[in-house]
Amino acid sequence: MPRDAEVVSPRAGLMRGLLGGWAVLVYVFLFAPVVLLVAFSFNANRYGTFPFTGWTTKWYGQVFGDYQIRDALTTTLKVSAEVTLISTVVGTAAAFPLVRSRLPFRSGIRIGMTLPIMIPGLLIGISLLVLFTSVFHWQLSPQTAVIGQSVYTTPFVMLLVAARLQGFDPALERAASDLGANTFRRLRHVVLPLIMPAVFAGALFAFTLSLDEFIITLFLIGAQNTLPIYIYTQVKFGITPEVNALASLLLGASILLIGIAFVLPTAIRRARRLRHGAAGARS
Amino acid sequence: MGARRFAVGEYLGFAPALILYGAFFAVPLSIVVAYSFWKVRDYNVVHEWTIDNYRYFFSVPTYVRTMWATVWVAVLSTALTIAVAFPFAYWLVRHVPRRLQRTLLVLVILPFWTSYLLRVYSWLNILGPSGAINRFLQWTHVTSSPVSFFLYDRPAVVLVLVYLYFPFAALTLYASLERFDWDQFKAAMDLGARPATAMRKILLPQIRPGITTAVIFVFIPILGEYLAPQLVGGTRGIMIGNLIVNFFSGAEYTRGAAASLLIAALIVVLLVVFRRSLEIKDPYASGR
Amino acid sequence: MSVYERGITRGDLLKAGGAGALGLVAARPAFAGLARAESTTLNWLTWSDHYANDQLKAVAKSIGIQGRPTLFSDNADAYLKIKRTGSQFDIVSGDALWVPKYHKDGLTESFDLSALPVSKQLFSIARSFPFWQDGSHYMGYPFSWSTVQIYYNPKYVTTKPDSWHALLDKKYQGKISLENIPTDVMAIAARATGAKKPYSMTTAEISKAKDFLKAFKPNVLKLASQNNEVVRALADGSAWIGITNLGTDDRVKDAGGPVIKTAYPKEGTIGFIDSEQMVKASKNKAVFEKFINTTEQAPWIAQNFLTNGRPLFNEKAWKMLVNQGHGDRAKRLLYNQPQKALKMTIKGPAGNEQAYVDAFNEALGA
Repeated sequence: MPRDAEVVSPRAGLMRGLLGGWAVLVYVFLFAPVVLLVAFSFNANRYGTFPFTGWTTKWYGQVFGDYQIRDALTTTLKVSAEVTLISTVVGTAAAFPLVRSRLPFRSGIRIGMTLPIMIPGLLIGISLLVLFTSVFHWQLSPQTAVIGQSVYTTPFVMLLVAARLQGFDPALERAASDLGANTFRRLRHVVLPLIMPAVFAGALFAFTLSLDEFIITLFLIGAQNTLPIYIYTQVKFGITPEVNALASLLLGASILLIGIAFVLPTAIRRARRLRHGAAGARS
Repeated sequence: MGARRFAVGEYLGFAPALILYGAFFAVPLSIVVAYSFWKVRDYNVVHEWTIDNYRYFFSVPTYVRTMWATVWVAVLSTALTIAVAFPFAYWLVRHVPRRLQRTLLVLVILPFWTSYLLRVYSWLNILGPSGAINRFLQWTHVTSSPVSFFLYDRPAVVLVLVYLYFPFAALTLYASLERFDWDQFKAAMDLGARPATAMRKILLPQIRPGITTAVIFVFIPILGEYLAPQLVGGTRGIMIGNLIVNFFSGAEYTRGAAASLLIAALIVVLLVVFRRSLEIKDPYASGR
Repeated sequence: MSVYERGITRGDLLKAGGAGALGLVAARPAFAGLARAESTTLNWLTWSDHYANDQLKAVAKSIGIQGRPTLFSDNADAYLKIKRTGSQFDIVSGDALWVPKYHKDGLTESFDLSALPVSKQLFSIARSFPFWQDGSHYMGYPFSWSTVQIYYNPKYVTTKPDSWHALLDKKYQGKISLENIPTDVMAIAARATGAKKPYSMTTAEISKAKDFLKAFKPNVLKLASQNNEVVRALADGSAWIGITNLGTDDRVKDAGGPVIKTAYPKEGTIGFIDSEQMVKASKNKAVFEKFINTTEQAPWIAQNFLTNGRPLFNEKAWKMLVNQGHGDRAKRLLYNQPQKALKMTIKGPAGNEQAYVDAFNEALGA
C-alpha cells in the first residue's frame, strides 16, 4: 500500500498528527470500560462496582474452581469456531454471484439475504426452536445453536465481501486470463489476495458476534450453557466479580494469542533470514 | 465458450447459502409470518387467523411514537458511529505500516471478546453518580457533589450504542478503504485538485458500497436493541425493542412477531429506496 | 491451503463448500445423540440461586448423580423450553401458580412428598400449600419464597412510603427503580388499585391498573433487566426507592451503599414461592427423589440462605442458622414466618396475559 511518506507539506503533517490523536482517543474510548471491568475483578467488593474495598484474587480462584464455567467456555469456543467457519465459507461464496452474476433482481436478493439481521434474534431463536423440535424432531444441542447463529452471522460476511468485490477491477482478471491463467489460478493469485482483507474482517465479525450471542443460543442449545448465558443468568441475582474475572481471563487469553500471532511471523522471518544468511556465507 | 463455463460457476457460490437459508431461515421466517397472524391463548400459540396483532400496533399511539423515537436514536447513533470510525479507518490505512494494520484492527474488536452485558455495566460504572467521571471530578474539586450525567436518558443510550457498534463500522470501512487505489487520489491532487475535492470526487464514490454496508451493519441492529436502552437509558430511553421484548417475556409471540415484521418491513423499504447507493459506478465499465 | 494446491477449479471449490455444508447438516442428529452417554446426569432447568457448585459436587460424590443446571430467566421461558424439548430436562424450577399450570398441561408429574425423608425438615405449612396438591401427591418440592416490598433510602425519603399510592408523589420523580417483569408490575398496580385477583383482572380493572402505571411512570428511573441493577441504583444513590425482593437492604449495604429501610404497602403485595418439579418426559424420574433428598438437606439450605438472603422453606436450616448466630438476620428476612408467604398475592401466569402486556407497554412506552 503506498504510504504518504512522500508528502512532506506541513499541512499533511498536521493532518497526520490529528488523525493519530483521534485514533488514540478511539482506543481510550474502546478500552476505558474494559480497563474498569478488569480492575473490578480484583476488587473485594462483591458487587463489581465502586468503591474499591480491597485487593483480592479470590474471584479468579472461583473461576478456576467452577466446572460450569469450564463447560460453558468449551461449548462457547466450539460453537464460535464452527459458526466462524460456516459463515465465512458460505458468506464469501455467496458474495461472488451477488456481485458478478447477471442475476435478475440482484438487489432484491441482496436485501433478502440481509433479512436475518433485521429479524430480532429472539424471533429467530423461537422459530428455529419450533422448526427443530416440531418439524425435524431433533434433540437440541450445541450443533443446533451453531445453525441458528450461522443464519444470523452469514449475512455480515457476505455483505462485507460483496462490498469489497464491488468495483474490483475485472481488467485485472482479464489480464491474468490473457496471460493464460485458468480459473483456479485467477482465483488463487488475483481474486483471493484482493478480497482477503474483507474475508478476514468477515471472519472476525462472525467470531465476535457468535462469541457474545445470547438470545438465539438460549433457545437452541438445550441442556447446556455458553458463557454469555452463564454470565447473564449469574448477574440476575447480583453480579459478582467472578464474571469480571472470567471476562478478564478471556481478554488476557485473546491478547496473548494476538501477541503470538503478531510476533511469530516476524520471529520466523528473522530466523529464516538468519539461516539464509548463514547458508549464503557458506556457499 | 469461456463465457459459457463461467456462467454456471457464476451461480454456484449461492449453493451453500441456499441450503443454509432455505432450510434454516426461509422456513422459520414463514413460521414468524404465520405467528403474526395467529393468536396466543393461555401461553400457547393457537392457529386462529387474525390481523389483530397488526391492527393493535397502529391503534395505540405508544408504538408508533416509540418507533419514531427509535428510528431517531438509530439515525443519530449511526451517523456518530460512522463519523468516529471513518477518520480512524482512514488513519489505519494511510498512516500505519501494513504489517501493524491487522493487529490494530484486532485490538479494536478485542474488548468485544468479553461480554456485552459486562461492557454495558462498565458504562454504568463510568457515568453513574458514584462512577469514574464523578469520582475524578470530585477528586480534582471541580464539583463537590455528584453531577448527574446524562445517564438514564437518551444521550447515554446513544453514547453506548456508538461504543457497541464502532468496531462493525471500523472493520467495514477498513476493508473498503484498504482496497482503494491511492494513486488515483494522488493523481487528482497532482492535477491540482484540493484534498477535499479529491476526496469527494474520487474516494467517496468508490468506497460508497463500504459506507453503505457499514450503515447497514450499525443501523439495522440498533433498531432492535433492547438491553442497552434498558441498562443505561432508564424509562426515558425506552426503544421499540423493549416493548417487543415485553411481549415475548409474556409469551405474546404473535404480537411480538407482528411488531418485528413491521420493523423489518420498514428496513426493507429503506433498503429498496437506497439500493442505488449499494451499487458502485464502475470506473472500468467501458471495458465490459 | 492444500485444497487449492490440488488445483481444482473455482466451481469445484464452491461445490465442495456446498457438499460440506450438506454433510454438516446431515451429521447433526448423530452429533446430538452422542451427548447423552452419561446415565446419571440430571439436567436441571433452574435459577442460579437454587444451587451452589460445591453442593452439586458433593452430591455427585456421595450418590453418583450429577446435577447439571441450565439457567433461565422468566417462567414463560422455562415453560416454553420444557414444552418444546421435554425429555432433555429432568427437573424444572417454577414459581407458585406456574407449578399447577405445568402440571395441568402434562409437563410435570406430581410425587409423594412424604416419601422423601428430607421433607420432614420443611415447615409443615410448606407441605400443604393447597395449590400444589394433587390428591395425595405434591406437584413440586418447596424451595424458597419472598415478598416484593418497598425499600427506601431514609436520607431522601423522609416519610415512610407505606402504600403504593405514596409512590406517585411528584417529589420522587425519576427516583424509583424496579424490575421489568410486565405481568408482575401489572399485578402490583392491581393491588394498588384494589383489583380482586391481581393475576386475572377484568378489563375494567386492567384499565384502572394502567392508569395507575401511567401516573407512576414519571417517577420511574429505570425498569431494570436484572434485580442487581435495582440494588446498584439504590447503592449509588441514583434511586431513592426500590420495589424488590426481601434482603435488598443487606445487598445494598454489601455493595457499599447507604442504610436502606423497608416499608410494607398497606394495600398488600405480591411475591414468589418456588419449587423443584419433576419433568414428566424425563428418562431419569427414578432418581429424582434421591437427588432432591440429598441436595435439599438443611446444611446446604442454610448455606444457600447466607449466600442469597431470602427465606427458604427448610425449618431445620432455620434452627441451624439460629445456632450459628445468624438468627437475627434470618428473622429480619422472615425466615421463621412462612405463613406470611400466603398473605401475599403469589406469582403465576396471568389469566389474560395479552391484555396485561398490552396495558404495560401502553403505560410505560415512549
